[in-house]
Amino acid sequence: MEDLENNTTVFSTLRSLNNFISQRMEGVSGLATPGSSQSSLQIQYQQRVQLEEQAGQIHSKSQLLQVEREKMQMELSHKRARIELEKAATTNARNYEREADRNQELLTRIKQYQERETEAENKLKEQMEMNKSYKKSMETMSKKLQEKESKLAEANETITILKGKISELQWNIMNQEMQMTSQDSQKQELMEQLDVQQKKWQEASQQIQTLQAGQSLLAEYEQKIKDLEQKLSQQEHDAVIVKNMKAELARFPKMERELRQLREENAYFREMKENNGLLKEEVEGLQRKLERYEKVQAQLVTVELENEKLLGKLKSWEKLDQSTGLNIRTPDDLSRQIVALQQRELVLKEQNSTITNSARMLEKARQQLQEEILRVQSQLLDEKKKREQHEALVRRLQKRVLLLTKERDGMRAILESYDSELTPSEHSPQLSRRMREAEEMVQKLHAHNTELELEVEMKVLKSQECTAEQSTVVTKEEVDTLRLKIEELEAERSKLEEENRSLEMKLEKLTVQGDYDPSRTKVLHLSMNPASLAKQQRKEEQQQLQEECERLRELVRVLEGGGAIPGNLEGVGGFQSPQEVAELKKQVESAELKNQRLKEVFQTKIQEFRKVCYTLTGYQIDITTENQYRLTSIYAEHQGDCLLFKASSSGGKMQLLETEFSRTIRELIELHLLRQDSIPAFLSALTLDLFSRQTIA
Amino acid sequence: MAKQLGRDQQGITLRGSAEIVAEFFFYGINSILYQRGIYPPETFTRVQKYGLTLLITTDPELKNYLNNVVEQMKEWLYKCSVQRLVVVISSIENNDVLERWQFDIECDRTAKDESAPREKTQKAIQDEIRSVIRQITATVTFLPLLEAACAFDLLIYTDKDLAVPEKWEESGPQFIANSEEVCLRSFTTTIHKVNSTVAYKKDSFP
Repeated sequence: MEDLENNTTVFSTLRSLNNFISQRMEGVSGLATPGSSQSSLQIQYQQRVQLEEQAGQIHSKSQLLQVEREKMQMELSHKRARIELEKAATTNARNYEREADRNQELLTRIKQYQERETEAENKLKEQMEMNKSYKKSMETMSKKLQEKESKLAEANETITILKGKISELQWNIMNQEMQMTSQDSQKQELMEQLDVQQKKWQEASQQIQTLQAGQSLLAEYEQKIKDLEQKLSQQEHDAVIVKNMKAELARFPKMERELRQLREENAYFREMKENNGLLKEEVEGLQRKLERYEKVQAQLVTVELENEKLLGKLKSWEKLDQSTGLNIRTPDDLSRQIVALQQRELVLKEQNSTITNSARMLEKARQQLQEEILRVQSQLLDEKKKREQHEALVRRLQKRVLLLTKERDGMRAILESYDSELTPSEHSPQLSRRMREAEEMVQKLHAHNTELELEVEMKVLKSQECTAEQSTVVTKEEVDTLRLKIEELEAERSKLEEENRSLEMKLEKLTVQGDYDPSRTKVLHLSMNPASLAKQQRKEEQQQLQEECERLRELVRVLEGGGAIPGNLEGVGGFQSPQEVAELKKQVESAELKNQRLKEVFQTKIQEFRKVCYTLTGYQIDITTENQYRLTSIYAEHQGDCLLFKASSSGGKMQLLETEFSRTIRELIELHLLRQDSIPAFLSALTLDLFSRQTIA
Repeated sequence: MAKQLGRDQQGITLRGSAEIVAEFFFYGINSILYQRGIYPPETFTRVQKYGLTLLITTDPELKNYLNNVVEQMKEWLYKCSVQRLVVVISSIENNDVLERWQFDIECDRTAKDESAPREKTQKAIQDEIRSVIRQITATVTFLPLLEAACAFDLLIYTDKDLAVPEKWEESGPQFIANSEEVCLRSFTTTIHKVNSTVAYKKDSFP
């Protein structure tokens, strides 16, 4: 820190020095410029001196600084040495402390070891005591050992005893093993019985299965019964419905009767209505008559009034003859006068009519005359036009003539000039020739003119005629034809409309049915559509069914023929596989073998049994015919000696039949069969008898 | 369904109308097959459509066939070149045509050139289709019983100049010989109008 501060002071002093120098330089420079040359040297000297002073100051300062620095360094070194000494001191102190601690530890250790020594001595003593005690215990233990040895000896004795027992037991075990073997044999027997039982059980289970099959059948039958019951119920329902329908039907005749009644009433009412109508008409007629009569009455009244008026008039008329100068007294005279007046009137009317006719005629004539006048006027106009045309033509022609004359004159002048130039001999024929040619030309022109005029006249006349005719006739014809055409067209139109309607109806019906216009539409469907697939499947099924049918027919033919089923048909035989057929054949063979074996066994058993019976009872029993048994004794004297017994249908009672031998033993028969009614006694008596005879013989 | 809901706010375009009509044919044909017993009822499963419970088939072959036909119908409806679709029900044994369900299609060709969709709500069209399908179900009451085993076929009446695609072929119109026709309701999407009729063979006994 002090070094740093020293350095900073050094740098700051250097910096201040530099600044000062620069300032001085500036002051120097500032002073230098306006100053004169003389003063400048002084100034420069002064400046130099100043600078040197400054430099000396600075040098001294720097020396100061260096000295100070050295001082600082010395101080620092002093301090460092002090610090080091202190450190050494501290370390020495620590070492001393450590050694003191070590001493203390060692002392403590010594104390501990001393304590341990004392403890060890104590333990020694204790262990010595323990040893003594152990020795004592050892003595006691040895005593116990001896006791135990004695016990062991006893135990050995007991062991020997037990061994004896063991041998006994082993012998017992042997016995028990024997029993075991016997029991095993029993067990085997029982197992066999078990097998038998199992077989019985299997049979029972088969029976159960059959029973179950039967039960299933039962269930099916029950279902059928239920179905039938349902059908029954439905039929009952139907019967009920039928009854209702019958009830309704029963009502039907009533309804018919009612209908008839109603119709009759209807007819009656209609008649009544007609009658009513008629009556109404009559009433209306009567009313009208009434009205008329009322009108007539009114008319009567008016007529009476008129009558009175007429009477008054008559009276006035009667007075007339007095008023008028005529010779009228009676109405006849009036009538005569009237007739006369009427005749005069008629005459006058006739005159009038004639006059009117004549007037009409005159009017018609007048109209015709007017028409003629009009025609004449039109003709006049036409002729005026013609005249004008002709005048125009004439003028044109005159102009032409003038032109031609002028030409002619000109030509003549030219000709004369030419002719004047030419010789006089040749003059006149040429002139005359030219004259002739000109005259011919003029004549031709005249003729042409007249022809043109004639043509023009003709054309004008023709056009006038045509227009006059067409104006009147053409219109009527046109109207008639047009009317006819219109009627025809209208008739056609109506027909066409009807045809159109009917065709439209047909078209609609056909479109609804599915028709279409082949020029504008076409019908598409997918090639693989369900209908075609169903048809294919049906065809395939049919083919398969036909093939199966043929195969089955062949099989049937072969089987009916009785021949062996050939291998190919076996395979083709369809539903049964060859394995099942082989199995069935094996089963059949095994069943046949079993049958044969059973037969053999039965035969041997029967023969044995018969032999045993023969030896035991002394009779050989043969069945001759149905229910007849022939007994031959073992001690029979002759071979043909036999007894015939017949069994009743139930097999319980036997009857003796007559034979040659039975006649010889009637006494026995009477005794045993008839009196005692015992066949065994009879038979045994017979054997005894025969035996006695034999031994004797 | 999301697309159709979007369209409901926008109106009916030609493509949307073609889709609606093709969908109607799919469900309508399935209903006819179930009602007339062409396929056993246990091969059908229920779905919800047009607010009704409709039955559609689960038989994969039949489904495949119907989907092919419906896809083709969609295209042709968009081109406006189909005039009629007919479901022909015929007996397998003797190939007699017993029933004919005919759907006439009238297409407004100006809709092809228009760009603006037409104003008709989905709901109104669905109501109309619902009434047609209900009528199809109700026809069971008067149509004669189909006793023998039957199969069906779909015929499409198109313009004469239309290119016949692969797997399709021309066929006859398969009329019924002695038929009785009944007209059913129609519905329209303002671009396509579908009229329905059913024709069935008159029984020999009155």
